Amino acid sequence: MDKALERVMDALDVETFFVCGSEEAGRKYMLGLLKDFGFKDVDVVFAQYEGPGVRVRGRAYVYRPADRYRWLLGDAGGEAGV
Amino acid sequence: MSRVLLAPLDPVHDIGLKMVARGLEQAGHETVLLPPDLTPEEIVSQALGQGAGTLLVSRTLGYGVAELLARFIDLADAAGLRAKTRIGIGGMAVRRELAAELGFDAGFGPGTSVEEVVCFVERREYAPDPTRTRKEKADMTAGYDYRYRHAGIAGKLETISAMIVDWAKVRTSPGVERARLRDELWDAARWRAREGNGEFPEHYPALCGEMPRRFYETGELHPKTRRFTKDEVAGLEGYLAEAKARMSVLKLQHSRKRPLVFNQYGTGCPFMDIGHILASEAWGADGVVHFDPSWGARTEGFLDGFLTHQEDGTVITPANLNRIGAGREKSTLWQVRAHRGLNTPETVVLAAKLGADLTKINICYGALGAGTDPERLTVDGYNAILYAKKYNLPFDVVTNEELAGVPAYKAFAGMLIVADLAVRLGARPILQPLFAYSPEVMIHGLMEDNYVDFNAAKVTALRGIVNAPIWPGAPIGFLTHTEDRVQSAMATALHACLAAALEVDAISIASTDEAYSGGPISAPAKVDTLRAVQESFRFLGQAGIAPTAAADTEAAKLVDGIEGVLAEVIKAGDFVAALHAGALGSREEGAYPGRAGKDTVRTVG
Repeated sequence: MDKALERVMDALDVETFFVCGSEEAGRKYMLGLLKDFGFKDVDVVFAQYEGPGVRVRGRAYVYRPADRYRWLLGDAGGEAGV
Repeated sequence: MSRVLLAPLDPVHDIGLKMVARGLEQAGHETVLLPPDLTPEEIVSQALGQGAGTLLVSRTLGYGVAELLARFIDLADAAGLRAKTRIGIGGMAVRRELAAELGFDAGFGPGTSVEEVVCFVERREYAPDPTRTRKEKADMTAGYDYRYRHAGIAGKLETISAMIVDWAKVRTSPGVERARLRDELWDAARWRAREGNGEFPEHYPALCGEMPRRFYETGELHPKTRRFTKDEVAGLEGYLAEAKARMSVLKLQHSRKRPLVFNQYGTGCPFMDIGHILASEAWGADGVVHFDPSWGARTEGFLDGFLTHQEDGTVITPANLNRIGAGREKSTLWQVRAHRGLNTPETVVLAAKLGADLTKINICYGALGAGTDPERLTVDGYNAILYAKKYNLPFDVVTNEELAGVPAYKAFAGMLIVADLAVRLGARPILQPLFAYSPEVMIHGLMEDNYVDFNAAKVTALRGIVNAPIWPGAPIGFLTHTEDRVQSAMATALHACLAAALEVDAISIASTDEAYSGGPISAPAKVDTLRAVQESFRFLGQAGIAPTAAADTEAAKLVDGIEGVLAEVIKAGDFVAALHAGALGSREEGAYPGRAGKDTVRTVG
């Protein structure tokens, strides 16, 4: 079976709730988490902090426009994003 | 006819089984529905005693479901029930894979239709209702005669249109000349067959700006643009063939036919666009909108070739449009926007020759909110309309209240001027008021209580003026969104509900990434909003939304304001001068006459 990441069309979103004391902390956790996963092109799409913690959606772009997409090319696609 | 035993293997829930029982009875089967909270032993015993050909068991609760179902099927085996009875399991806790793993004859998870279960009982293969997924292209302008209901506004528009025609018909621009060349010398069939295009390449580069001209003379590309490789093109063909083979399309509308739903694409890369278009179609979009990059709108002339661009907005080239247009489903309406730049009339010609269904032309928005010189865009817009007529291409005329801060009555006056000009030239315009939490709304507190009244007032006002198609865009919900996926999908869905209740012809919807500026909109973000809109249409059905009395008051104000603006344009005696003077949006309101293409218009004849 193909690697799952090779089937991602554009980006991977990760959404979770971090127990922490501020939105800034939540953003840092998300960026750190995505980098721990091995992604380089990462960002926080949305974060909202209320008392108990932060709800945050992070994004790792597997491909940007003009990259070579492995969902089209398979092994010929080369490295992208990770 | 067969006997079917239905048994809830659940403490309380049996709604699904009751619905299935009703469907089976309607199909002529005898059904026996057991009460909830029986033990597996009691169900197996009843099934043996009833002599049922089929046993349908349901389970809603998910805790320990695998163990429970495994024990049930073991019990049925041990009791000899399987010899005469087929057993299906369904419910919210059931997954098809689990049912198959455990040895059930069928598993019916969430989303199962009653017809699917009837087919299982009747040992027929289930084929989803083809009418659910069969879609046909609609003509949004059908049934509208563009007759005015407001005599004062009609008279003023007639005067202004005559003024514009007299002014524009003796003027030309490089954009108009390129469009003429594209119209007269460029043949799509010959281009597709790589047979060359006669004199076209000899004349075209001379009418282009520096960057496209260098491209034709030396092959140099825009620095953030590259050509696709052969293996990428081959990969695209393979992807399209595979995806098309398993492709089906959803219908978003529940019990109403309108509005059609459009989704915008424009990642910069035609490949990613094609992927996004397929996702949009599969999840129900009736149409897609080609979003062109700002540098394309400010550059004289198009490049050619199959090109990908690293930034937002997909470059218009014949090859890019051709590939994108060819990849869409037959039922998908395809709009190529031409409304705001230096390539406006040529875009209409190129889009029409490559099979687009709709375009977008607006002189006022492009001249006051998108950077194009008013004089230039008036000449180019006039000619673009003539080409839209020639190629039978309806087009929307969008307003610009969402970005520039122009009040709706001024934006609408500009929209109506372009629409009236189009009707008088024989074209088919579509009015595109915005449903938006616009700067005007923020400043004047027009949506402090709700988002319904002012948006409803816009549609009421336009309907009181002229019998024309209305397509709120672009996209609805814009500026009501945040980066939050849930909130954005919900805002769009509610706007879609309002649009449906107002019975407009179409809407353009935002994707849930619309407010996030960190990268291109992703495929799941498109799907999120399409799903939300589908649910909202299901929720609304044929029911309505009732605006408060404030909507009528606002509509009347809009109509009065529009008439006042038109009087001011007539008083100016010159449409371009009126644009510069702020009659259709002043600098204080954030409308700035553009500079791209300034001093490029010349008089002819």
